[in-house]
Amino acid sequence: MDIFALLMWPIKWVIEAILVGFHWIVTALGGDPGSGLTWVLSIVGLVLVIRSAMIPLTVRQIVSSRKSLEIQPEIQRIQKKYRGKKDQFSREAMQRETMEAYRKAGTNPFASCLPLLIQMPIFLGLVQVLTDANNQKAGVGLLTQELAVLFSESTLFGVVPLHMTMAAGFEQGSVPVIVTAIALTLIMCATQFYTQLQIMTKNQTPAMKESPMYKQQRILLYIIPVFLLISAWLFPLGTMFYWLVSNVYTLVQQLIIISKLPTPGSEAALAREARMARKRQRMGLPPVDAEEAETAAEIELRTQRQQPRSKKPKSKREGS
Amino acid sequence: MSQSLKRLGLLPRNICVAILVAYRAVISPLYGDVCRYYPSCSAYTLQAIQQHGVVRGIWLGARRILRCHPWAAGGVDDIPEPRERLATNRAGFVLARKEQ
Repeated sequence: MDIFALLMWPIKWVIEAILVGFHWIVTALGGDPGSGLTWVLSIVGLVLVIRSAMIPLTVRQIVSSRKSLEIQPEIQRIQKKYRGKKDQFSREAMQRETMEAYRKAGTNPFASCLPLLIQMPIFLGLVQVLTDANNQKAGVGLLTQELAVLFSESTLFGVVPLHMTMAAGFEQGSVPVIVTAIALTLIMCATQFYTQLQIMTKNQTPAMKESPMYKQQRILLYIIPVFLLISAWLFPLGTMFYWLVSNVYTLVQQLIIISKLPTPGSEAALAREARMARKRQRMGLPPVDAEEAETAAEIELRTQRQQPRSKKPKSKREGS
Repeated sequence: MSQSLKRLGLLPRNICVAILVAYRAVISPLYGDVCRYYPSCSAYTLQAIQQHGVVRGIWLGARRILRCHPWAAGGVDDIPEPRERLATNRAGFVLARKEQ
């Protein structure tokens, strides 16, 4: 067909294979092949597989961002050079130098864009797979016509068809569908909000909190629920379950990261250091990583001292 | 007359610019600082579309996103320099004249 369908084909094939695989497992374990619960569990399985496949990416990113702490003195030198210069060109030059320093050191604290974008076609693929199945059409691969019919006729607890959207629920005046959709939206908002809040308040350094991006993030925190409500209106309940489980996965992953591998210099990192120190004390061990803690404290101090401006003339500041 | 024709010719890329600007204002901040390069992937694509047009701009942007993976070293990565840079206004829309 068109190029877009061609690009989506492999993604849809994999999604179908995973969905059908989990459907088979749940059925083999005694689930009713036509019940909505079986399909929801299959969707949960899909999330687990896709997100687990991405764990190496996440770990790699965290390790690399920790490693970038080593060139912190260099980054601070650049920050010092541009201290107090808020105009667009100085900002740009500073960012260029910072990025170049990271590249030279072979470390980069940023996550990279590709993994984020990959999740979009996956979600789109799922929407297409579920829509096709809902129309009782066979999928591109393992999702046969038979399974498609099973899916389209499946209901959760016998009253909530998985293929319906909130809009359809209102149209047909189906109270269980509306209630389920609203409940899902509320849980989604809560998880998304909590995850974002955790990242923003606990896992960012004071320097990150001063950037204009942070303020924008704060505002968006309150816009996300609106987005979610719109998507709940448009997408079938089945895809909402995918989203919901994915959100919960992110939340748990984030909590683990914050407690085990926090961003150096952030509130969470300080909390972790304090925890570790207490543990060592309890075990009667001497504080071995005093040196490490000291460097962390020093960095913390320097990022906070960005604010005051030197009264010395510019030429002297540059020279020091 | 030719000026308005030129403006019409720039319409496709300015539509793309509008979409990208909206993305950068609304969706992009959700992720925080993510990109391993300077300019970031969306800024790079925006510039590429502004200076090279829709087709080449999207092509360059797509290739850049493919370069922005967890194993990439990152660093400064600017768009290929066009033969002549077109002027843009503050919102990012391309104007029908050369950059001064």
